[in-house]
Amino acid sequence: MKLLIEGVGKKYGGGKWALKDFSLELSPGVLGFLGPNGAGKTTLMSILATVTRASEGRVVWDGTDISSDPDKLRSVLGYLPQDFGVYPNLNAVEFLEYLAAVKGLDAAASRRRIDELLNLVNLNDVRKRPLGGYSGGMKQRVGIAQALLNDPQLLIVDEPTAGLDPEERVRFRNLLSDLSGQRIVILSTHIVSDVEATATDIALIAQGRLVAHASPEDLLREVEGKVWEWVLPSSELNAAKQRYLVSNTSRRSDGVHARVLAAQAPDGAAAVAPTLEDAYLYCLSNHRAGAAA
Amino acid sequence: MNHVHALYHMVRADFLERVRRYSFLLTLAFAVYLGWGSATGLIVVRLGEYRGIYNSAWVGSMMTLVGGLFISLVGFYIVKNAILRDEQTRVGRILASTPMSKVFYTVAKTLSNCAVLMTMVAVLAVAAILIQVFRGEDTHVQLGTLLAPFLWCALPAMAVTAAIAVLFETLPVLRGAVGNVIFFFLWVASLATAEQSKRDDFAGFFVIAHSMQDSLRKIFPAYNNSFSLNVGDSNQITRRFVWNGVEWTGAIILHRLWWMLIALGIACVAALFFQRFDPARTWAIRRKEKAVAKDSTVVQISATPAIAAHAAVHLTALLAGTQKNRFIQLVASELRMMLKGMPWWWYVAALGMLIAEAVSPTPIARQGVLIAAWIWPVTVWSQMGARESRFMTQSLIFSSAHALQKQLPAVWCAGVVVSMLTGGGYALRVLLSGDVRELLAWMAAALFIPSLALALGAFSGTSKPFEAIYTVIWYIGPLNRAPGFDFIRLAESPPWTAYYFVLSIALLATGYFSRRARMAYV
Repeated sequence: MKLLIEGVGKKYGGGKWALKDFSLELSPGVLGFLGPNGAGKTTLMSILATVTRASEGRVVWDGTDISSDPDKLRSVLGYLPQDFGVYPNLNAVEFLEYLAAVKGLDAAASRRRIDELLNLVNLNDVRKRPLGGYSGGMKQRVGIAQALLNDPQLLIVDEPTAGLDPEERVRFRNLLSDLSGQRIVILSTHIVSDVEATATDIALIAQGRLVAHASPEDLLREVEGKVWEWVLPSSELNAAKQRYLVSNTSRRSDGVHARVLAAQAPDGAAAVAPTLEDAYLYCLSNHRAGAAA
Repeated sequence: MNHVHALYHMVRADFLERVRRYSFLLTLAFAVYLGWGSATGLIVVRLGEYRGIYNSAWVGSMMTLVGGLFISLVGFYIVKNAILRDEQTRVGRILASTPMSKVFYTVAKTLSNCAVLMTMVAVLAVAAILIQVFRGEDTHVQLGTLLAPFLWCALPAMAVTAAIAVLFETLPVLRGAVGNVIFFFLWVASLATAEQSKRDDFAGFFVIAHSMQDSLRKIFPAYNNSFSLNVGDSNQITRRFVWNGVEWTGAIILHRLWWMLIALGIACVAALFFQRFDPARTWAIRRKEKAVAKDSTVVQISATPAIAAHAAVHLTALLAGTQKNRFIQLVASELRMMLKGMPWWWYVAALGMLIAEAVSPTPIARQGVLIAAWIWPVTVWSQMGARESRFMTQSLIFSSAHALQKQLPAVWCAGVVVSMLTGGGYALRVLLSGDVRELLAWMAAALFIPSLALALGAFSGTSKPFEAIYTVIWYIGPLNRAPGFDFIRLAESPPWTAYYFVLSIALLATGYFSRRARMAYV
């Protein structure tokens, strides 16, 4: 099982490249796909889900170019788009039954599957209520359930935790961890904590280009010894922000505690253990500096 | 000044948002078709065996009548989504948080509706000039004379149509299919009433008609006062006369301006019912809330999740061989989806018509019931090919395997099942009588309707074009027996059965390629 993304680019009307020369090779595991808003994450996700055609490059699933045989990938694909709708007059069971039929699942298997999925996403109690009356988070859970209907080998989830409450978010993370064994899961998000909890690999994207692809440990190693906690008077905070990349601040009685990313320690700053968020910000900052140069 | 500026921008933004949509091409195509039909003599205004020579007065008035008749009907269905679109795009919620008043909003929507309709009328005005020039019966184009009926008749007609569309959208009970049906009968009734009472109608139809009749009577006293705007019977015209147009007196203009005021009044009344995108105040939500109140499980969901969040979650692997091509199952799902949400009385009426088709004693009575039975599911068919865009499920459906080769044909099959079920009583009687020609004609019609729905739905991504175009075809064809459009009586002119089979294939191909164009990979 292998997904190969080779030099993929997407040009929209007006000549703007949303994605450019993007290459990646994926095998089973959870790939956390991180990037700021507008970085090209959703464009890439919809290309991988065969919903959008790439302007250049190719996507190869298990040796087959998806442009020549998209159904080979579609038959093993589970896709949760960032924006999707539901049929408001159907209830969750009917909606999932319909999508199961579209995906070619037989009636008995889909009934069992839908029961299990509705339990899994915690919607069993409202399974007979019209979807039009669901909250945003509940609709998102229906979206998660439909993505898992066909037991996909490639699961693409785009901003899956948007609208979920903290409890459901934790449940979803646990579910992703459970699913990751024998399939490729691509989790696209800008929420670092979602990736931190589940990803076996991380890809960083900015301005339509791949900035980094590494394990979480390697990314953390990259920023080891470059994260500092610096206590300074609040009057000096603005000046510090101009000189350094400040990832976080908190005001306390002894002054402002600033979390600073820098190769050299500011005067009086103490080294602290880096987090994935530090690594993410550091990589993006380096990329922007490189692009500006 | 600020209000005018704000109104201008609201109308402008709404208008641009509509005309930049793919489906607007269909709207324009419809107007162009009307122009083409008038130019080629397919659509004619005749006074018995007479028509006017094609001078500026006649072509301007003729096209105004065509626009007043067809665009005021079809246009209603085209523009009756202005508020819905703001709801669907969630722009409404932003607007609701601004100081904009409800009257301001409904008036702005009326104006933008009117602008869209007048774009179609403008196509007819251009067509009028071209018709006069190319027919060459009177090549002296008098722009003022030609455009006056558009200004005094078409504009108020479009304003009233635009305002009624807004009013219907604000009234929950008239928002959906019920409103569409009611408008149709309201429209027919308004023209019929005006004809009988000889009063000025909203479309200015009889202002023009009476002027033409008076003029002809002066020239030919034996003229029997008949007047018609017909499709496909130009061969009845044998004589021509010169008509110099309506004399736009102050009284007539005042009457026409009254209709503009009435339109404004309707827009203001609509503001009374407009809920300002407050979901808590809409009828649908209130209904849901009632259901929620009865359903105590809702409280349990947010309060005590059935499974602890931190508990390990596990999904069973799906057995091999459970995922195959199951076409019949998919057709059944599509059919259920189409019919889901229809109220119980819809099924009762459909069943009643089905039985009436089978038991009506005469063929004419059976045809009459079939005509009604095949307009009844118009909102069921109109979902075909458009449902995915309307509910934003394209990415879910289009990323499924064989969506084009399997799901689209399943939608069509479900549509055919609907037409065959609703017209089944008629078919049963034909089958029992052994009339193969009639049965083939029935089949051609039963395939044509869902094919048209699929083609228009897949092409435009909305249900409106089918609802509008099919209603017009149904009105001028089965109801008014225009040759070529009457798909209920195809057996009376056998070549048309074959033409309709071919047309259905062409429409299916249009649906297929339209859907294909929306998919990245096929």
